[in-house]
Amino acid sequence: MLRNLPKTYTVLVIEDERPLVQVIQAKLEKSGFEVVTARTVDQGLHYMEDVGSIDVVWLDHYLLGEKTGLDFVAKLKGPDSKWKDIPIFVVSNTASSTNMQSYLRLGVNVYSVKAEHRLDEITADIRKFLDKPKEDKK
Amino acid sequence: MKLNKKTKKQFVITAQKLAVIAREKESIRRKLAITAKEKEATRLKLVVTARELKRLHNTLEKKVLQRTKDLEQIRSKSEAILASIGDGLVVVDKEGKISYINKSFEEMLGWKSAEIIGKSMVQVVPREDVNGVGVSFKERILTQVLAGQKFVADLTNPFYYIRKDKSRFPASSIVAPVILNKKIVGAVEVFRDITKEKEIDKAKTEFVSLASHQLRTPLSTVNWYSEMLLTGDVGEVTPDQKKYLQEIYNGNRRMVDLVNTLLDVSRIELGTFVVESKPTDMVKLAQNVIAEQKQQIEEKNLNFSVSFENNIPSVKIDPKLFRMVIQNLLSNSIKYTPIGGAVSISLSLDNEKNLILKVTDNGYGIPKNQQSRIFTKLFRADNVIGKDTEGTGLGLYIAKSIVEQAGGKLWFESVENKGTIFYATLPLRRSKKQQIVL
Repeated sequence: MLRNLPKTYTVLVIEDERPLVQVIQAKLEKSGFEVVTARTVDQGLHYMEDVGSIDVVWLDHYLLGEKTGLDFVAKLKGPDSKWKDIPIFVVSNTASSTNMQSYLRLGVNVYSVKAEHRLDEITADIRKFLDKPKEDKK
Repeated sequence: MKLNKKTKKQFVITAQKLAVIAREKESIRRKLAITAKEKEATRLKLVVTARELKRLHNTLEKKVLQRTKDLEQIRSKSEAILASIGDGLVVVDKEGKISYINKSFEEMLGWKSAEIIGKSMVQVVPREDVNGVGVSFKERILTQVLAGQKFVADLTNPFYYIRKDKSRFPASSIVAPVILNKKIVGAVEVFRDITKEKEIDKAKTEFVSLASHQLRTPLSTVNWYSEMLLTGDVGEVTPDQKKYLQEIYNGNRRMVDLVNTLLDVSRIELGTFVVESKPTDMVKLAQNVIAEQKQQIEEKNLNFSVSFENNIPSVKIDPKLFRMVIQNLLSNSIKYTPIGGAVSISLSLDNEKNLILKVTDNGYGIPKNQQSRIFTKLFRADNVIGKDTEGTGLGLYIAKSIVEQAGGKLWFESVENKGTIFYATLPLRRSKKQQIVL
């Protein structure tokens, strides 16, 4: 099958800025990912449940509504979560180090500052991470 | 008659003698009369003098009274002025014991004059640094001022005074020695409550921080959309269009850098600059920075030299921050040196085991009259404003904050049109407290 070569992963993108969501989706799809997008934490959690086959999460800190990315991570990496092993890439402009540290402590895999990274860099990082053999992933 | 003749002669003699005596008497009488007159004259003179003396005495007494009154007035006026000064005022003797406090002192600190006169200022009014750490007697500026220095602690270097009821307030102060006959006889301190100023300053910094965060979102949009266009992800663009897109992309990158710099400044000022120190190989760090700037060095055809002393041990610093310091100093040297000039960078150790980073150039230099302001936020020297439009005047401010936070020093020597040397020193072993705590 054609799909066998680069494996198709499904990314859940949780980001509230419409233009950013669009460009992230376009880039990821160009790079061979399936993309699901959400603008709030609750929406994101619903998709986790409904779509079922999310391989990786692209997450912003400030989102629509009261809840922030931290709430999402706490849920996903919580003790009873069935999604504990799903990697999370936080891509945010809110680069306060307390935030950053909270995310990493909660088990986020990578924290990138939006304004400082190219889309192709982040996309390539995600693919590299997912393609790594399982035991290498922390 | 014989006897008669003799007797007659004797009579004559006697008569003559009597006449002489009479004359003498008369002369004595006259003399006495003169003396009496003189006496009377002297008496009269004495009377006049006594009167004069009495008059003078009266005048003098009046004058003394008047002067005393005047002095009293001047004294109470000065006292009233001192007492009414809106800033807190305290005068201490050379042992640091309080000899005078004004009303504002009483109001601000909650102590009454009678309670603390004669007591040690340093003990009565504890001082804390910004982190709430008490300042020891030895480090108190009052102690240092009594040794001859003058100190100013303002908004950029605030501290807290502890009131009688143990509450505290941020203050700024000026402490100066009182010098009498070339000897320090005490010190005088004027201080004020800067709660308001601090709040305003914090609000300003928070505003910058918030604005900068907000700015990053649209910048990310421009960034990523132009990136997609440039990489051809949304169809091919013509070479001409690509050139225009590239300029948009570059301009946006510069904006991102600027916002990042502003964020760094606001972090320094809010005290939220997180330092993650770890043993760092400074030589490697410097080599990385040099590699990054290679292109600019080559474009300007600079005579570039590097000298790193052997065996430079690793230093416990935050590599990300020190990378910024080296990057800043080196890029300044490159920017402000004309084409074909010379720039060099070196790392060495001094006798006291300090690491010294030295960045030298023979460029435009810093005009003498502006040297004192070079580390001031947003300041840029006149002679380079026209030459380079990219500077923000924030780089050296940030660099100095970083170096000093690590217990080091950053300074320079410069002659206009001859060149500049920037030095950054870092202690390899840090003592507990390097900064003067106010």
